[in-house]
Amino acid sequence: MATKRKWSSLVLSAVLLSSLLAACSSNSKNGASSSSAAPSESSSASASPSEEKLKPLTLSYYSEDVNPNWANMQDDIGKFLTEKTGITIDAEFAVGDAVQKSALIASSGDFPDIIMPKTSINKFVDAGAVLDLTDLINEHAPNIKKVFEGQMNRLKYSEADQAIYVIPSYDGINQQNLDTNGGFQLQHRVVKELGYPTIRTVKDFENAIKGYLEKHPKDENGNPNIGLSLIADDWRMYIGVTNPAFAVTGGSDDGEYYVDINTNEVTYHFRRPEEKEYFRWLNHMNAEGLLDKESFVQKYDQYKAKIATGRVLGLIDQKWDFDDGQKALKSEGKFDQAYGHYPVTMSEEYKHTAFWPTGFTGGSGIAISVDNPDPVRTIKFLDYLASDEGQVLVNWGIEGKHYKVENGKRVIPADVNDRKINDAINFQKEAGIGSYNLLSAKYGDGVVDPSGNYYTTNFPEQIMVGYSDVEKEVLAAYNGKTWKDLFPNETEFKVKPWGALWNIPVPSDSELVVLEEKIKNITWKRVPEAILAKPDQFDAIWDKFLKEIEAANVKKAEGLRQELLNQRLVLWGN
Amino acid sequence: MKAIPESNASMVVRSESKLGRFVRRAVQNRYLYLMSLPFVAWAFIFTYYPLWGWLMAFQKYNPRVSVWDRQWVGFKNFQLLFQDETFYLVMRNTLAMSFMSLIAAFTIPIVFALLLNEVKHMVFKKTVQTISYLPHFVSWAVVAGIVSKMLSTDNGAINDLLMWVGILDEPVQWLAKGQYFWGIVTLSDIWKETGWNAIIFLAAMAGIAPELYEAAKVDGASRLRQMWHITLPSIRPTIIILMILSIGNLINIGFEKQFLLGNNLVVDHSKVLDLYALEYGIKLNRISFATAINMFNSVVAIILLFTANGLFKRFSKESVF
Repeated sequence: MATKRKWSSLVLSAVLLSSLLAACSSNSKNGASSSSAAPSESSSASASPSEEKLKPLTLSYYSEDVNPNWANMQDDIGKFLTEKTGITIDAEFAVGDAVQKSALIASSGDFPDIIMPKTSINKFVDAGAVLDLTDLINEHAPNIKKVFEGQMNRLKYSEADQAIYVIPSYDGINQQNLDTNGGFQLQHRVVKELGYPTIRTVKDFENAIKGYLEKHPKDENGNPNIGLSLIADDWRMYIGVTNPAFAVTGGSDDGEYYVDINTNEVTYHFRRPEEKEYFRWLNHMNAEGLLDKESFVQKYDQYKAKIATGRVLGLIDQKWDFDDGQKALKSEGKFDQAYGHYPVTMSEEYKHTAFWPTGFTGGSGIAISVDNPDPVRTIKFLDYLASDEGQVLVNWGIEGKHYKVENGKRVIPADVNDRKINDAINFQKEAGIGSYNLLSAKYGDGVVDPSGNYYTTNFPEQIMVGYSDVEKEVLAAYNGKTWKDLFPNETEFKVKPWGALWNIPVPSDSELVVLEEKIKNITWKRVPEAILAKPDQFDAIWDKFLKEIEAANVKKAEGLRQELLNQRLVLWGN
Repeated sequence: MKAIPESNASMVVRSESKLGRFVRRAVQNRYLYLMSLPFVAWAFIFTYYPLWGWLMAFQKYNPRVSVWDRQWVGFKNFQLLFQDETFYLVMRNTLAMSFMSLIAAFTIPIVFALLLNEVKHMVFKKTVQTISYLPHFVSWAVVAGIVSKMLSTDNGAINDLLMWVGILDEPVQWLAKGQYFWGIVTLSDIWKETGWNAIIFLAAMAGIAPELYEAAKVDGASRLRQMWHITLPSIRPTIIILMILSIGNLINIGFEKQFLLGNNLVVDHSKVLDLYALEYGIKLNRISFATAINMFNSVVAIILLFTANGLFKRFSKESVF
């Protein structure tokens, strides 16, 4: 008995000890990798040939955007990149609240080698976490320079700090908008049933939903159909509830502000009287029973699940946000319950501003941290991705496997294309197409490479191939080839010389940060309240809301934003 | 004249002997002391050492410069905190929900444990106990999903039931009304934690000597009388100690439930201190401000703990220390 007990305690202590050792060894591994990095830096500086270049190097990478299909570079493109450059990327994605995660990383003082911080870049810059890339790009990155030719000014951080901290990777150069994400959405069966009525104003939109609901109050299982469902879960409040307010009243996306295109005057957009009317309309929709009662309560997953049941007739959202639900419908063959996009505004006098051109906005992209063991090799790696060869690789995949060249034209074989559409997730995990696009500077959709092919696989002809038969039928009825054709074209607007106000970095110790958080909290509380109120109470709540944000110093926030805008206009040389 | 040096001397001797006794005992029990050493180190490293980070609350935090070179701002962060009216709102919500769950946690599990203790059929008792504590292991994210589905107006079980019974004419949007929020959080807490909280009371009840019950039975006490005069007084020390500890934790209620069940319509009732620290502190990169909130938190917790302990010590002679 006694010996037995002794043994078990020995085993226990051995386990404890080994777990301790494991913890230590992971530390020592980190130490080793950083110490081994030092010589490789010096050797690459001495420009020794490719022998050195292929020395394996693992770079840690943090991204605010989640890529659920990231395969740890074990996909085809990843293997190719590692073989070619010796670099492996060890990725970490923000789970949950990205802004908070970025703030924690920025304040920890321990930074990943490559960082993709989106608008949290201010926190990293203020923490001294990221390198100025100006010289690195000039010396080692001819391809990146080529991509940004003529736009290098727009890479600079701010008027006061003209360093380049980020290689913009979200905004493709010369991007042509091929199709629309936004507008108001209606299920195809709704417009079909009603004989393709004009959907131009919120009234048309309302009537379509109302008309269909009268004929079909319930679905085939006896569950009630839902008129219009909004998503207001956390930050989706912006895209689902508040951004449409300026989009339907002739404003374009400048974050929480409206900027007058002629006078450059900044206003907190909720303070525009036009937008009050939009919220009044939502209030009216609710009073009529056309608005989903759960709009402001449901969480994102519930919203997607609801869309996937096919019972929601109308949405006001962005395609990338509701697409998961829509994909589920399509995979069940319920194509007439998928959604079309319509350029709905308050009245005919407004144009829908989905395609208001901003020019190249720079902004969100990739930064190299001060902890990076070998910035030169890193920038060369990013430069390769931005080269013609790299761009074709990340967009099209590997020649002979994911695409073929026939008569000088890149074509995707039918079986690959089929997997791309119907087995998208697994295909991305295996091939890696779509996993590397945001790692470096890129060309936009519709841009042609020296061989006469498009850099990306989204080009006008390709968009239409992806439409279902129902979709084509509906589009034909509205005289469009793509949904974009229904919307006012880019050329109808004057280009915004400041890009977009929301992506101008705010110094993180600016007073604006706290002011805006307070104003946001008031807005997010009062707007749903006003929408769900009885119609005769709407004005009272709205007035209260305006008074509250004024008390919270909204004018000061406007002034500070105005300053930022003016500085950017100077920086970008307008 | 003579007495003073003498008494001085005797004091020295006594204090020496006190120290000497301690040393002698320590040497005697050296293995016990050695064994406790890792845990003392553990406590020091993980709870006392991080306290020096509190310095941040009085500084302008900046990861680039060392602690000593950072700019000192005095009590500015605390001033900001106490001047913000949102802070008082979140304090109200935090305390209200803590008190509600405190009351729930010290009534329902005890009643449940009392009832379960009376069950003589062992298989049934064990089964009920197991089933009732299983929800404890379900994450709040899942519980929140279940709760919001149950309370939904779109075929939610609660609305359907109430309408079928005839209490409601049309479904109520429970989660959209601030006045219900505290109740919903407390009820889901009860569902999730009752069984788990009952375990410790059941264990205490198992330790009660059976002779007491036998004696009571001989005296003609009914089952209810036995519960009241034997079971409850016997587990009183357990109840009081647990209560003192949870009063100390009153302000640290976390934010999971409130974050997951809340939405913009009920934000005036759902925002709690930890969420506030997250939104106005960490998310806005105001690390010093967040530290100030945390410090306030800890100070309040210590005050609560000592007050509760003192009160119970005076009135019931039971206390943690």
